[in-house]
Amino acid sequence: MSRTLTEKLLDRAATGETIAGSQWREVRPDLVLGHDATIALIVDRIARHGHPLANPERLFLVADHFAPPSTVDRANILRRFLDFVEGSGLLEAGGTLEMMQGICHQVLVESPRCVPGSVIVGADSHTTMAGALGTFATGLGSTDILAVLLTGRTWLAVPPSIRVDCEGGLPPWLRGKDLALWLLGQHGEAGARGAALEFHGSGVPMDGRLTLCNMAVELGASSGVWVPDAITRAWCSARGPDGWPAELSLHDLQPDPDAEYLARHSLQLDTLAPQLAAPYSPANVHPVTELVGEKVHQVFIGSCAGGRLEELGDAARLLAGHRVPPLLKLVVTPSSTAVYKAALKRGYIETLLDAGAVVTNPSCGACGGIDKGLVAAGEVCLSTSNRNFRGRMGDKDARVFLGSGLVAAATALTGRITDPREVLA
Amino acid sequence: MSRLLPGPRTTPLAPVVGRAMVFGDHINTDLLHPSYFFSLDANTVQKGFLGAVEGREQAASETRARVLLAGENFGCGSSRETTMQALRLAGVQALVAVGFGRIFFRNALCLGLVAFTCPEAASLAEDGARVEVDPIARVARNLDTGRSVALDPLDPFWQEVLEAGGMMPWLAARGSLP
Repeated sequence: MSRTLTEKLLDRAATGETIAGSQWREVRPDLVLGHDATIALIVDRIARHGHPLANPERLFLVADHFAPPSTVDRANILRRFLDFVEGSGLLEAGGTLEMMQGICHQVLVESPRCVPGSVIVGADSHTTMAGALGTFATGLGSTDILAVLLTGRTWLAVPPSIRVDCEGGLPPWLRGKDLALWLLGQHGEAGARGAALEFHGSGVPMDGRLTLCNMAVELGASSGVWVPDAITRAWCSARGPDGWPAELSLHDLQPDPDAEYLARHSLQLDTLAPQLAAPYSPANVHPVTELVGEKVHQVFIGSCAGGRLEELGDAARLLAGHRVPPLLKLVVTPSSTAVYKAALKRGYIETLLDAGAVVTNPSCGACGGIDKGLVAAGEVCLSTSNRNFRGRMGDKDARVFLGSGLVAAATALTGRITDPREVLA
Repeated sequence: MSRLLPGPRTTPLAPVVGRAMVFGDHINTDLLHPSYFFSLDANTVQKGFLGAVEGREQAASETRARVLLAGENFGCGSSRETTMQALRLAGVQALVAVGFGRIFFRNALCLGLVAFTCPEAASLAEDGARVEVDPIARVARNLDTGRSVALDPLDPFWQEVLEAGGMMPWLAARGSLP
């Protein structure tokens, strides 16, 4: 029987257990991703069960939300999480803790522990991002994760796939974010609900793939997987000698040619304009040309969807030698320490500081309304993050637009929503 | 803390009867429970219920709804389980929607709430109407008008989880917990 890539990945991790008539199957995840906020919610319940973690060596935990904490309540949440890590013995057992090294999704894909071909579950909705490396990666709530920690198993349905073919190459004004927003504009917030997205195309670089797979969940998808190719292989190999699984070839990670899809979408990359999502939905998408001129009070470059080297580089390139308008707040939060260091080395950070940016430490930061860069009632923010829901990034009467790093940088130059094609020329 | 968590079901799954609160499409978890109410403290979590749903901030404490009826994609967005805890603390026992966000739906059933899809969920009742949701007969009724609608069947796996009282009780009953 021919299979999609998602079916192949889930078959690899299935235990064979199921329930008569059920679409759900028991699966043994290769890796479990967690962070301070959502793991802290279940620490008491883990202790109450009083038995050891099923597979501590499969845990990849990151302190990234309250990192470092900005309120007493959050300091106590982080402490609860760290006490659990220490008391559980998971580090001695081969599990991982990354202490404030960036956002868990970014830190994960930078690690050789994120292995193509694997199944990853995470206590955060944007766990889908790891699919960019050819994994099945999906988010779960804390009780679901509690079950995984105690049993080493979870229950997943094998979703049908929607195939997305990215045709051609990206023109200089387009990024992965534009493609994600275009899909959202076309298909809506439930456009891939109950399905997995399967992305094809060698014309999108890894940073853009990460953004697309990250925002698969904004379309309601269980997961988004980028079919591995030379770009995947190069990314993985750059992480070290163990960056690619020895037993797998690229061929093993392709869908069957006659696999069945729920739907097929095709993106002609060179025909799209830069896209923006207007308040209060990531699916309220317009070409940037319809929104140019709107005054903004803040530009935020950060989050797991938009604080990578691509966005920092684009911003540095457009802002070099300029100063942002005096009343504009430009907040830059690199997605990880590795991104931050690479940006420092390339001079991006100095350029952004010279342009008037404030650079905060790698963390979730303003995106989830956590700290450093929240927006006030009546303010307008152009953000490279993934969600512009009412109240998510600050006051519920603030308005957030989502766009690429290029749109963010062009907008930071002028203080008004600006088409990057006007600046790039 | 213990108020945040459900115990195993001690009585058979019974119909939920109570006032309804009705929502539109794509009501996300940031609206239902803004992230600044994320906490390990039950009082803080409870305060955030419907914290950013326009026009609902007051209604939340007044209606004492037991049943939330919603349109498409209810609970899309974040996985934060504090959202579901806030619903439980507010007394909500059943969710019926045209469609659910995937993680939110799992969170509801994992924590022992009744959750079903139904194409007519959003038009069954007005805010404040008395409704009944029967998870065994798979029917939702507007007790004020007498109208009843069929609920979509849950997958057999999730029906088992629901009847057990949530994911942890289901695992315990199955002997899967060490």
